[in-house]
Amino acid sequence: MAETSRHTTGAGSATEPGMTRREFLVRSTATGAGVMLGIALGPGRLGTVAPAGAAEGMDAFTPSIWFTITPDGKTTVHIVKAEMGQHVGTSLAQVIAEELEVKWDDVRLDMPQESAENFAVYGLAYTVNSGSVTTEFDRLSRAGAAGRIALVSAGAKLLRADESDCYAQDSRIIDRVSGRSISYGEVLQKTKIDRKFSYPDDFKKVPLKPRGQYKVIGKSVPALDIPAKTTGEAKYGIDVFLPNMVYGALVIPRTRYASRVLGVDDSAARKIPGFVKAVQIDDSTGKCTGWVVALAEKFPAAVKAATALKVEWDAGPYASLGSADLLREYKKLAQNTAESAAWVREGDVDQALGRSERVLEMEYTTDMVCHATMEPLNATVAEVNGEWHVYVGTQSTSFARMTLTGYLAKILKKKPDDLKVYVHQHLVGGGFGGKQDYDEILAAAYCAREAGRPVKLIQTRESNFATSFPRTPTYHRLRAGLKDGGLAAMNHDIVCGWMGPRFYVGKKYGSDWLQLDAVDGTKRDIDQWSIGGSDHWYYVENQRVRAWNHEPTTWAVQASALRTVSNSYNMFVVESFMDEVAHALGRDPLEFRLSMLNGKGSSRGIPNTGYPPGTGSDYYMDQLWISLPWPKEGTWIPYESTTVGGALRLANCLRVAAGKAGYGSRPLPPNTGLGLAVSSAEERQSPTWVAGAAEVTVDPKTGKYRINRLTIAMDMGIAINPRNIEAQIQASALWGASQVLSERLTLKEGRFEQTNFHNYVPIRLSQVPKIDVEIIQSGHHPSGVGEPASTVVAPAVANAIYNAVGARVRHMPITPDLIMAGLGKG
Amino acid sequence: MPQLMINGQSYYSDSPPDTPLLWAIREDLRLTGTKYGCGLGLCGSCTVHINGRAQRSCLVSLADVPEGALITTIEGLHPSHDHAVQRAWVELQVPQCGYCQSGQIMQAASLLARTPNPTEEQIVEAMDGNLCRCATYSRIVNAVKRAGEILREGPKNG
Repeated sequence: MAETSRHTTGAGSATEPGMTRREFLVRSTATGAGVMLGIALGPGRLGTVAPAGAAEGMDAFTPSIWFTITPDGKTTVHIVKAEMGQHVGTSLAQVIAEELEVKWDDVRLDMPQESAENFAVYGLAYTVNSGSVTTEFDRLSRAGAAGRIALVSAGAKLLRADESDCYAQDSRIIDRVSGRSISYGEVLQKTKIDRKFSYPDDFKKVPLKPRGQYKVIGKSVPALDIPAKTTGEAKYGIDVFLPNMVYGALVIPRTRYASRVLGVDDSAARKIPGFVKAVQIDDSTGKCTGWVVALAEKFPAAVKAATALKVEWDAGPYASLGSADLLREYKKLAQNTAESAAWVREGDVDQALGRSERVLEMEYTTDMVCHATMEPLNATVAEVNGEWHVYVGTQSTSFARMTLTGYLAKILKKKPDDLKVYVHQHLVGGGFGGKQDYDEILAAAYCAREAGRPVKLIQTRESNFATSFPRTPTYHRLRAGLKDGGLAAMNHDIVCGWMGPRFYVGKKYGSDWLQLDAVDGTKRDIDQWSIGGSDHWYYVENQRVRAWNHEPTTWAVQASALRTVSNSYNMFVVESFMDEVAHALGRDPLEFRLSMLNGKGSSRGIPNTGYPPGTGSDYYMDQLWISLPWPKEGTWIPYESTTVGGALRLANCLRVAAGKAGYGSRPLPPNTGLGLAVSSAEERQSPTWVAGAAEVTVDPKTGKYRINRLTIAMDMGIAINPRNIEAQIQASALWGASQVLSERLTLKEGRFEQTNFHNYVPIRLSQVPKIDVEIIQSGHHPSGVGEPASTVVAPAVANAIYNAVGARVRHMPITPDLIMAGLGKG
Repeated sequence: MPQLMINGQSYYSDSPPDTPLLWAIREDLRLTGTKYGCGLGLCGSCTVHINGRAQRSCLVSLADVPEGALITTIEGLHPSHDHAVQRAWVELQVPQCGYCQSGQIMQAASLLARTPNPTEEQIVEAMDGNLCRCATYSRIVNAVKRAGEILREGPKNG
């Protein structure tokens, strides 16, 4: 079965840039190698035309992506998305199984390796934005259906039946005339299937079953990755062992970023048994700045040695920077409106504000938070016969490979094409956006080179906090123009550290990054990942969002994406402020919100255009220090818009959540309030519609509060696995609760003050409220469920606190002292 | 160096006596189900049983392991991974990323061994030291209750 476990194309030219056509191929061999269903590089561009069934031609693009059916009747679905708690493999396999008509018990999962060759076939392996189901749903449905069509055709021949009389069910092809049937496994044992489906042309013509006939989609099948997670058998990156490997532990650098090593004294470390050597990591690419790694035969010895090493640093430009300094600078920057870039501009905000009866102006701030995944960052790297093998659990095996390739090319002065880098994906012990940086991989690779042995680098909890990639601190200034009992104009100014420049070292934003009008009329780069969410779905006739990048933040704290990215602060701000506006107008926050979620203007969704054209992406990853071409077609898969219905779907969620929570109708205990919020994370183009209600009790004597109950209503279009969706919603709601309750990362003298779970405090079991979940299946294209619920909790809690005791807190996290200040008792 | 009796098998670790038991279990003996999370006893990911009681293996050095102590890790909780807690964990689909779950399961098993029918308060108290960053907490409480039921039902219904 060697052939079926291969997920690479044999053609070196598979990496050739500019390939435009892909081909779906169904093939098996009489010798029982299995059916391999996948996209192959099409003929033409490769310079060879491979006739169907010609063994020699086939070998050139041995396709085996998405799934493989073997003659034992098992279907193995190949998952290039990271398994990090969302059970994505199970959901995607359900989509395939639905159309393939394969018996669910016959389904298995595996995780292909990442290589240049596989990248050319699978495209970018990157698990973010709650986007996996949204982007894969259509093509996996069609891949499954194409496989079924080929199998039915072959099965009909073996049954000597008319193909049109045959159908597939539970991994069998059945002749409805004779009643005879044959299993998928038997078909593969007896015959060879050659059938090609070009991508995307033939794909578009593959008929899909009506959604009302779904049998596997919509069923809460148990997640395939769960049993191993209860036995100790599940393998994460940290669980890898390689022969002769050595362990690495990081010396925590003087500052988070841009410290420079001046000298390393290893005299004390050398007395530690098992110490191998201290390695100063080449940080000339701007990664792993100031890193020194202690290598030892065992990890505890490496940690001891890291502590014993005396490193002298030039502390660099951020050595005196603290969180309070950043906030001061943000406020200063926001005064300079000429330097801002406009992200949203509807109507004439300045004029409308001028004509308003009253202008409500408020400032909001949010602290840094970090991912603090339970599995600390780690990487194991080996150089074997000139090939580099990386063992890790990461959100992007593709970027991991490309980043390491770029790094090695630079420090080894080699051509990227001459480097062979492979990434072997493992389970990810928590991602949340925190496993899409690759410093441990670079450092482990550098150490492996220096030691001449494989290296397993593990961040201690302390070094993991010290090298966090946190969510930026933010400062917001909002103005609302109130007129005729409504919101006539809204201006939202946002200052923070953008993550974009860090990913795009040359600050060259590609075409996927918006260039928008600055106030002075010039075009400005703008980082949608840092501003998104402020482009909310309320219809406000005059609306503007202006944004400023405080670039020292970007670098000093290494600002990055944290679960729902900028939605996690912008939804807190927008939804708190909407409540303030409602109260200022003397209107009920529920009625006020519903009146503006009306489907007019900017709150209207984008209608479906059927099967839209592919969206090629041609930007370069400057982070890689080399220009690697991006596959232009066929890797970014078109999918139906999830914005269909627009704000009307959001209004529906809000009605459901408010109703289920008993908003306005249920008697509440003393000092208890119900607060509401809506959200459309992840992005404007890919919203999942969600509303939440929080019931909170506040002790007015201390400002301490408890979240009693959360009610979440979410419209994700189609619920592929309802029980898992409920789990994802509950857990992400608690992530939101954790953020508003207690999570806070602060910068002092250029480094983070928090070191472990005693001073960085995530939510614990004893703080967990009751959570009611309402899944709304509107029947539209499915959208992601792993993150969005987290965004409604903080504002709903803030609004509930106001309703409970009258304290308006305009900062996240909401701590008791801020509530006391809000009560005038601070 | 004392021998380590883990899951009914004796082991020898060549690590120094001040080595946390966690690292000997994980990296020397390669029983990787026991996870490193914080190193300070703050998260519970490394929970094992020592003489039947849940302990943070990151806080116990090899020298601290009592002579003849019986250590149980997630791999040895049940010969066929069919402990009531494991069954309840699968039945209620508790894990998400799964990294903390060995520790959660070992903690829950220790609780139920002493308190087969815990109140919700007792569950919260026993499990509050185990962090889950995915926040699977709601299901953890229900699964501990369900595991208690399975235990009380006895093997004939199992």
